[in-house]
Amino acid sequence: MFDKAIAAIDKKLQRFDPIWMAENGKGGQRTRYYDKTGVAKYREWRGVRDTMVDYVAWLKNLASMARMVASAPIPCLKGFWEYRWMGSYLGTFMFIDRLFEGYRGYELKIAHLNMHAIVHSLTRKIALILSNDRRLGGGPLTDVMVPMDEVLPPLFMTGFKELVAIPLQLLPEFIVCDIDQHNNPYYIDVAESFGLPADVCSRCAAETGVAMDDAFPLIGKAMVSTNMPCNASEATSMFQRRRIGMPDFPATLAMMHNEPGGNKFSTQVLKDCIAFIEKEYGVKYDWDNLFKHAALMNEQNRIELEKWDIMKTPYSSLVGIAETLYRLYQWAAANGQEKYFNKVDRKVIKIMRKSYSEKYIPFPGKTRHRAFLWGPSAVYYTDFPTWTQNCWGINIVLNMDSTMGHNMINTSDPELAIEDLAKFTEKAVMRHHAVGGWDNFNAVWEWAKNFNCDMVLYNDNIACKGTLGVHAVMEEQARDLGFHFIFVEHDLQDSRTVSRQAMRNCINGYMSVVLGEEPLDPTIVEFDDSDAY
Amino acid sequence: MKTVAKIGGKVALTALIAFVGTFTLYITNGENKLIYYVIRPLLNKHYDNQVRDRRIV
Amino acid sequence: MKDLKHLIYFENLLQDAQNELVTKAVENGDKALGYNCYYIPEVLLNLEGCFSSRLRAPNCTSTDIANYYMTNRTCPYARSILERAIEGGYNYLSCLFGAESCATIERLEEHFFVINPVKHDGFFVTQIDPPMKGDQTNLDYYKAELELKVVGPMRDRLGIDTSDAAMRKAIELHNEISRIITEIGNMRKLDNPPITGYEFHVINLVTQVCPQRLILPYLQETLEELRTRKPEEKFPFRSRVVLMGSEVDDPEFTKLIEMCGAMVVADRYCFGSIPGREEIEILDGESAFDAICRHYLHWNQCARFMDGMKIDQRHEVVKQLVEDYKADGIIVENMKFCEFWSYEKVLANHIFTNEYHIPCCTIEKEYALGAMGQLRTRFQAFIESLEIKSIQGGN
Repeated sequence: MFDKAIAAIDKKLQRFDPIWMAENGKGGQRTRYYDKTGVAKYREWRGVRDTMVDYVAWLKNLASMARMVASAPIPCLKGFWEYRWMGSYLGTFMFIDRLFEGYRGYELKIAHLNMHAIVHSLTRKIALILSNDRRLGGGPLTDVMVPMDEVLPPLFMTGFKELVAIPLQLLPEFIVCDIDQHNNPYYIDVAESFGLPADVCSRCAAETGVAMDDAFPLIGKAMVSTNMPCNASEATSMFQRRRIGMPDFPATLAMMHNEPGGNKFSTQVLKDCIAFIEKEYGVKYDWDNLFKHAALMNEQNRIELEKWDIMKTPYSSLVGIAETLYRLYQWAAANGQEKYFNKVDRKVIKIMRKSYSEKYIPFPGKTRHRAFLWGPSAVYYTDFPTWTQNCWGINIVLNMDSTMGHNMINTSDPELAIEDLAKFTEKAVMRHHAVGGWDNFNAVWEWAKNFNCDMVLYNDNIACKGTLGVHAVMEEQARDLGFHFIFVEHDLQDSRTVSRQAMRNCINGYMSVVLGEEPLDPTIVEFDDSDAY
Repeated sequence: MKTVAKIGGKVALTALIAFVGTFTLYITNGENKLIYYVIRPLLNKHYDNQVRDRRIV
Repeated sequence: MKDLKHLIYFENLLQDAQNELVTKAVENGDKALGYNCYYIPEVLLNLEGCFSSRLRAPNCTSTDIANYYMTNRTCPYARSILERAIEGGYNYLSCLFGAESCATIERLEEHFFVINPVKHDGFFVTQIDPPMKGDQTNLDYYKAELELKVVGPMRDRLGIDTSDAAMRKAIELHNEISRIITEIGNMRKLDNPPITGYEFHVINLVTQVCPQRLILPYLQETLEELRTRKPEEKFPFRSRVVLMGSEVDDPEFTKLIEMCGAMVVADRYCFGSIPGREEIEILDGESAFDAICRHYLHWNQCARFMDGMKIDQRHEVVKQLVEDYKADGIIVENMKFCEFWSYEKVLANHIFTNEYHIPCCTIEKEYALGAMGQLRTRFQAFIESLEIKSIQGGN
């Protein structure tokens, strides 16, 4: 009876469902948007059940944000007033909406579970940082916080149970660029106004701009920088250490880490780093506490490996950006520090097992290609994988960054644990492949084959020297190995150089001209979203 | 019994009103329109007028 | 000034990577060992039976094929080297000892084994993972990497004697070359030097791209000549500058600055003599290899170093050069698309100008000397400002 009622409503309202609209030539995803803005006239109608799933997720995220403000109302207000990047977080709802356009059924459920974990963690982190930001008055934890480079996984810091490791650039630069494409260009312009050339990596230029604009929260007594992921990142740390003006320890792990001796060196660097923190903060390293958190990370990685097994089949309901963004945050920011992520992982793998046993295929009938996304992705166009699926049926099965450190960490022997941690850290975001030596970068074909992909999308970050340097060799190999291969040009965090539409055109051209395929949703082949967040 | 029904009714009514209110906000994309057209332009005006201590040190 | 006897010969040696002396050494059975960067200690490659060849791509005006491989958005030095390799310009090399000095160089070196552009029997490539700090942990790693990637392959694959005695002999040769270059270089400290920056640039470059044993007699003769060379009656330049930055392996660039009126009195750039031509000292109880590693890590002033000590060192060294060589200002150059020097240029400009109060001019350049007009205008304006400052008594 209930099901019948829902079916009747679904039938009645299906003309509002963009998938139905596209299938029937009555419009599509873009129909409900005001031109250019990215503001939808109304939210996506996904049928009664899925719309309710989306609505409940929206409510939960709203509650997290309300909790953030309620837990630290004055610091939050001060933060909004002080920091330009805080204003951009108001775009979060719009961000989540565009990430999961076209998602239905299990894939929608999982996407929201993953996304809420990020919102849950991030809102707490924002409240925590703002409440202890010296610039805004400071707090009880100001001096026990350790600002760290966001690319350095903070797991090894859990051995300091009295301290709180904070990925310094995460809030002012990285996450905020995911949410609002107009935020980072402001900071990039600040850096360039001091003479920084426009051809350096825009991520690092933005970080430099945040430092020069005096827009980093002021926390802690000493900081940890790193040589990861790349040259520009190494160089930008010079400006951050000067502007922040605290004692710093550059954790310079082996770059070409597969080399014999690389791991031994990285292990020693981590030991030196621990000694530096002990000295600066007057605390002792507690291996048992590390083991406790390492066990959490191990569980996450174990589940991750099982997820990958399912993702190799057509029956994985963890897809596209729902996978990428979660893995990135879970690995680089939560990193064994938050039990909540383990809970989410357990739930997600349960749903994945169920959907696999039911032979459930996400985006039913709409996926034409399975693609591996290689190279650092455009941060200002996080919903790009969603668009590739909705427009051309290209399901981005896995992203390069998701393949980062998945080795297990010893939880009983300090010496083995620190070696494992070094290995884990060497395989951090972007640096592992993009600058970690030829074999790591060239591993794409093996990954793509293992995940049964017929297509490789190569993120062609126009300022990433590590990926630009092997352009033709990659293309030639793709041809030899029979993969569809598309360069997706972008400028990582500066949407002015290569717009989202220009990125879409890279795919549009290949799909229509080379493969001669028709778009699934013609309303999103070409559209102007230049004013959207 | 009556009191329980009364309270239950009130709870249900409140829940219904809350649902209608929040769902309306949700489906009309109300909060995003407010943020995009009203709050962010005001905030941006404020940020653009900020005097920042901009230097290398 | 009277022309230097060997200057034209030296200039001719710089016209090709495989110059007359390189060919002669190879014909004599010596093995040519290529490298790109200061991180690979040149002295190690000059053991008996082999010689170092720092890779340049002189007269490379087009990088069309390299652009295909590496795009036109990467360092033009790296692309020019790849282009020259594909053209067959490095077929005399027995191997390339690479260093992951930056991502682009790493990628360039990978092309040497991925597309095999060097046609030489048994040619091979190794890459070290160079350190980014000057502490003990990094020194240990540097030693391990050099042993594994340079000394080991030299011994095992090329049959070179890499014993301590052989290394001491190579250090002697290095020190002799360094003494000559340092003495010539020090002449630039004089109020009216008997040598120009251009001439020095040429002389120093040949020591990096020619077999050192073969170039040594010419250097000795040139030094003798310079000791008695009469300078111009009056210092012919309007000001003196220190040149700092990334790769400058084209003396025409130095000539361009000097044609605008400023003598380049100190060369603190990749391919320069500072660092590069300091004598290596072996401490008591230290092996020759350990001394080499310590020396190169200590003197290295690459912009990729991340620790405060090394960052400060590279600025303080330049400040000291300004004092020692009585320079009026500093020109900081960076190769286009060089991430490290792009950042360093901004920081160095700030430090030199605002903290050291030394006039500073920053420019970005291509590998092959192009956009001469623009650069000339920049240099002329800078030199004019130095002159005005000098007329106004430094205010």
